[in-house]
Amino acid sequence: MSPSPPGRFSVLLPLCLGFLASCAPDADVVIYCALDQVHAEPLLERFEKETGLVVRAEFDVEANKTIGLVSRLRAESGATRCDVFWNNEMGHTVALAEEGLLASYDSPSAKKIPAIFRDEQFRWTGFAARARVFIVNTDLVSPEELAEIKGMWDLFDPKWAGKVGMARPLTGTTLTHMTALYSVLGEERAREYVATAKRLNDEGKLALTSGNATLMKQVKVGELAFGWTDTDDYNVAREGGAHVACVYPDQGEGEIGTLLIPNSVAMIQNAPHESAAKKLIDFILREETERTLAYARSAQIPVRNHVERPDYVRGDFTPMEVDFRTVGRDLPIRQVELKELFLD
Amino acid sequence: MTTGISFEAASSLLEARTIALLGRTLSLGLGSASIALFFGLPFGFLVARSNMPGAAILRPIGAVPLFLPSLFLAIAWAPLVELRGGIAAALVLGFSTFPLVALFSARAFERIDGAKEEAALLAGGLRAVLCMELPLVLPSAFAGASVAFAFAVNDFATPDYVSSVGPKFNVYADEIFASWNLVKDPGRALVTALPLIALTLLTLIPALALRRKGNLATLDSGFRAPSTLDLGKLKWGAFLFAMIPLTVGAFVPIGRLLFESAGLPAQLELGGGVDLAAAWSTMQGAFGQALERSRADLANSILYSTCAAAVAVPIGLIIGHAIERAPRRIGRALEFLGLLPLALPAILFGIGAVFVWSKPATADLYDSGAMAVLLFVGRYVAFPVLLLAGAVASLDRRLEESAAIAGAGPAKRMLRIVAPELRGSLAGSFVLVFVFCMRELDSAILVPAANHTAILRVFNGVHFGRDEYVAALALLLIFAILLPGALWSLFAKKRLEVLR
Repeated sequence: MSPSPPGRFSVLLPLCLGFLASCAPDADVVIYCALDQVHAEPLLERFEKETGLVVRAEFDVEANKTIGLVSRLRAESGATRCDVFWNNEMGHTVALAEEGLLASYDSPSAKKIPAIFRDEQFRWTGFAARARVFIVNTDLVSPEELAEIKGMWDLFDPKWAGKVGMARPLTGTTLTHMTALYSVLGEERAREYVATAKRLNDEGKLALTSGNATLMKQVKVGELAFGWTDTDDYNVAREGGAHVACVYPDQGEGEIGTLLIPNSVAMIQNAPHESAAKKLIDFILREETERTLAYARSAQIPVRNHVERPDYVRGDFTPMEVDFRTVGRDLPIRQVELKELFLD
Repeated sequence: MTTGISFEAASSLLEARTIALLGRTLSLGLGSASIALFFGLPFGFLVARSNMPGAAILRPIGAVPLFLPSLFLAIAWAPLVELRGGIAAALVLGFSTFPLVALFSARAFERIDGAKEEAALLAGGLRAVLCMELPLVLPSAFAGASVAFAFAVNDFATPDYVSSVGPKFNVYADEIFASWNLVKDPGRALVTALPLIALTLLTLIPALALRRKGNLATLDSGFRAPSTLDLGKLKWGAFLFAMIPLTVGAFVPIGRLLFESAGLPAQLELGGGVDLAAAWSTMQGAFGQALERSRADLANSILYSTCAAAVAVPIGLIIGHAIERAPRRIGRALEFLGLLPLALPAILFGIGAVFVWSKPATADLYDSGAMAVLLFVGRYVAFPVLLLAGAVASLDRRLEESAAIAGAGPAKRMLRIVAPELRGSLAGSFVLVFVFCMRELDSAILVPAANHTAILRVFNGVHFGRDEYVAALALLLIFAILLPGALWSLFAKKRLEVLR
């Protein structure tokens, strides 16, 4: 007589769990990666081919951008399982360093990276940046109007009421951007900026999207005329043949410039596979990686000026002068402030 | 890092901002549940009891919207309609969860005593039948609506997505997620979740009582199965009505994904008309790419979901049996405990898994696929528990008593008497757990082992333009979700029973 269904299940149950528990991957190095999977995966595969090491990569999802991995790193700090953290921005990496969760490693691949993008204690290194720009729908915005969109405050021009937007500044590069504004503009002006954005959203005059990619799509399809996004998202729209333009804001004399947000890579304190982690960091910080990311769909901007890049990856704009250490230290405070302002 | 419950976190629950968020979430839940009720109750009646054209085929298709991630509905409809904000969120979640009400209602309508119904039909026609039956069916329908409410109040991705234009429609689940993300106080997420857990429990506990009342109202020793009701001229109108939630909740989202997988949006943007040969070629390429890039993730999804269902169903059978057969107080306590996982926000499951299992002693388990299975079992074991409890309630306990007198122990009685009688319900529970695990995103985001699944890959891909490849992968995922239920329906002699 064949066993009845629960009889089969009772056999299946320990088998299932036993099998799965034995399937724990035998990785040589574990990386948590907030850079989009489509861009990071081929690079990590190349690393595996070159070194013969097996990489286990955990990626973040858009809705959770960056912060999911950062929170997980904190939660796992008692039993570190991650070796390398590849963040797609800088603020949270600096915050992790301040909390003592990152180890020092002076990678030989990072020698030519400008000091502004490197931690003095070598706990993190920045590379391959994105710029915070306005993506503009050129079907909705005439060339004359486009020429008038020059600075961050133009987002609030009544002329564009209901046709502009930005991601809700609670995660990702938008949170880093707004936090940077506090240190660059001063508390009062920065607070005025975010409060205006919130007020205009309440009035239905400014959209708060779930992320930069969503905003890009809304501009692309003409739901919005323009808004804040990152250069990688702009490039995706441009490559797809969308009628869009990119404005690098605040480029005038005496203006604050355009915020540049580099990727950052760091070794985790007590990394289980320290030697392999160092090799992976060396690989990620190679000039070749910056070049690959510049030519990739994300069009990342190399922070080393001599690294080859395509024509559409600009390097001729004035960057915002921002101290990422300050941004990282301020992040927890701004995070609470912005949550209370934007989540009501 | 603070992980405990701080006074500051607790006092923040009383802030006007937090209360406003909770109020908005409550209104979203009520709105979604009302929409689910409005469409689900008549749909349940039409597919279970009427001669509406296609009733037999529409009944299983009616479950499809529940099996599609609600965000798929939002993404599919956003380019087609202008509606945004809270109303859009309630509509998406209402159509997504209407099958819950339809399922509960259909089962209740089938439990109406045929003799009583014939008497009502003779006395006053179809109207009299409905007047007689509605009070008997409403408890079950409200039970379904309560579960729909629980789903709606715990969803934060859909409200966020549909209010990307216009004033933001923030919900309470946003607050939990944002609290978890706080650098200084991630433990705050637990405290922040308490009001939402309480709200969900307050809805689900009456739902249990309502479900029991619905059962009792129709259990009768002289029960005769009711016959199919003739709708007369109304049957085509009824068919059109039944098609509304299916079109909104299943056909349009799947159609939109097919449209995108063929690269048609890009073709139309270029303005040169539609080239079907090119579309077919694009679609083939997209599916090939989706299979090539995501084979391992799809396999993981299927493996984890199958294992989770295989573990959850026996647990559900044992606890469900105890709920019905143990002394009343113990049964009620077990029922409440069984319900708890449904009331916990998904994100809290993920947070809990990280804190409990990310320890040196359990590191191997934490890294392995077994962690994903454990996570999914914890999240969805409530379904088999409650469904199998209902199924056990409909079994004649004298069979078990006789077996006990004959010397059969509890395990033997369970394996030889109870389980064979519940084959349809066991399979129904298995399929239900399987499909929910396949589409699980919110709790899986935080747990490394659960990250390598097809649904995670779809949502990562959505970031980059929702192109043909992502649409094809989403369709493959939907196919994998629907396959077990479809296979069972096609080949098994015993009907798949989700409610008994």
